[in-house]
Amino acid sequence: MSEGGDKVVDSRPKRTRIELLVREQDGKGFETREIASGVAYLHSRPQRIPDADWEMARLPYAPAGIVTYALKNRRTEQIIQITETEKFLWHQMDGRASLQEIATSYLLHYGSFDFEIIPTLLVKLLRADLLTMRPVSRLRAVLARNRRNPAARAMEGTLHALERLTVTSRRSHQFFERVYRYGGFVLFTPWALIALAIMVVVGGRSAIAIWHDLSEVTHGLARHPVVAILLVKIVFWLTVVNHQIIHALACVHYRRRVREFGFTILHGFIPTFYADVTDIFMATRRARIVNAVAGPLFHLFLGFFCFWLAAHLEPGLIQGFLAASALLQLQSFLISLYPFWFLEMDGYHILVEMVGVPTLNHDSVRFVRESLWRRIRSATWPTRQEAICLAYFTLSVASVAGFVLLNVWLLTRAGKS
Amino acid sequence: MSNRPELGFLRRVVLFKDVEDHVLLALWPSFRERRLRKGDVLFRAGDPGEELYLIKDGSIVVSKPVTGRVEQVLSRLGAGEAFGEMSLFGDERRRSATCQAETDAALYSLDRDSLSRFITGSPVAAAKFFQQMAQVAFKRLRDSSDLVAEVTRWGLEATGLDIEHK
Repeated sequence: MSEGGDKVVDSRPKRTRIELLVREQDGKGFETREIASGVAYLHSRPQRIPDADWEMARLPYAPAGIVTYALKNRRTEQIIQITETEKFLWHQMDGRASLQEIATSYLLHYGSFDFEIIPTLLVKLLRADLLTMRPVSRLRAVLARNRRNPAARAMEGTLHALERLTVTSRRSHQFFERVYRYGGFVLFTPWALIALAIMVVVGGRSAIAIWHDLSEVTHGLARHPVVAILLVKIVFWLTVVNHQIIHALACVHYRRRVREFGFTILHGFIPTFYADVTDIFMATRRARIVNAVAGPLFHLFLGFFCFWLAAHLEPGLIQGFLAASALLQLQSFLISLYPFWFLEMDGYHILVEMVGVPTLNHDSVRFVRESLWRRIRSATWPTRQEAICLAYFTLSVASVAGFVLLNVWLLTRAGKS
Repeated sequence: MSNRPELGFLRRVVLFKDVEDHVLLALWPSFRERRLRKGDVLFRAGDPGEELYLIKDGSIVVSKPVTGRVEQVLSRLGAGEAFGEMSLFGDERRRSATCQAETDAALYSLDRDSLSRFITGSPVAAAKFFQQMAQVAFKRLRDSSDLVAEVTRWGLEATGLDIEHK
């Protein structure tokens, strides 16, 4: 948030909080949670009324060159006038995107953000009955409606249990500021890039040397398979923490705030550490790209560093472990930078910045589901944005299919051997 | 004033702070000590209420069910505070809220019959007791109305509703 923005917020009454007590599934314990109204607001998912119930037309007169649109509620016959930017927000309000995500999309699309535009538009839309508000995910709503069904109840319980595994610190910013001050800043100097380049060259040569002695290296691992797997996994987890720390330091480097740092079960099944660096969206495009690249580059450095270390050791468990870790780090580097997965990882964020379509993942799925066949039937050329969406969708489908096939092939090959 | 520890404790409880020492010492054997582990529920909203509780140590959370396993926290009570009097003297004999231990806690309970004997046996002390109880009740009423206003404001802020200009 800009300094000007802070001043505006400070002049208002302090946002309220409510304190809720959430009982455990077995009813034996509980926890209390404070929820700020601002957080609830940012997580609400505004949903426009069904498409059949509204229509929009560009107004023929554009005073002072400002393009405006008439948005009509067909049921109530109410009409409101909205601007081009409000039209962009209206199209984001599909009940899936939270206000926070919509604001982020706006910022990425227009390059700046007016703090009043979303509340003002929401009021306008609510007055014209063009909007309904969704507070929770659809899955949780469906599960809550079907609590009589034991399977739904079990799934809800499981999701709740997984959510409880989240460990979060909202006071992490000061910690990362200290880490940055006492040495973390070095990572964002040209020296760090030089060190990376040197390590890639030196480590690359070591990797070639290790490749020639591959059988000896793999024997080192094969002699202690359980220990090797555990070591590689533990060290990999530690590097995931470091990946997130680098993102947080990049955020501090560009004078933005690290809102949270913690551990969670992503989407209910992927255990991961995370740093909430969404404040970086308020910084420059360069800052956002550097932030996205910084994490994967850490894996690149570590991968070649492990190769270099391994090359200096005698064959055995440690050498095998380092070589395996190096491969895992390089794999992490490639996967996190590869954008076509339908997953919004670092590479995806870089791609979004390059093509200028802030909600590419969401838009591409929507385009294919709702508009692609119409386009094909009408035999008209897609717009630039539609072409980008189609390319992203196609490449992502191909990548996911390729990944699945590769794993099937590896498993069948392992089964035969 | 006696140096007996039970007297020192009862003096810290606002309901008994003006009651004479000999009345408190006579009442003391009627109290029953009760210990709660962190997370234990003492009683739930709707349960029949037969006792007044005084907190010796620990923290008690008072809450009201909202939906499913979620409850609104109404207040937190600490050492020296009393609760549970509403179902003894109020219009309903059922608990109006759920009380649970936020930390390990030690309580003293006083049942309805013992309290009745105290009131009928020491009318002057009982008057002082009720005077303090009225003040406690007014404070809780004020806190509740503040909470209603706060929760309403929370709802307006969380939904972005602009009532003034609607």
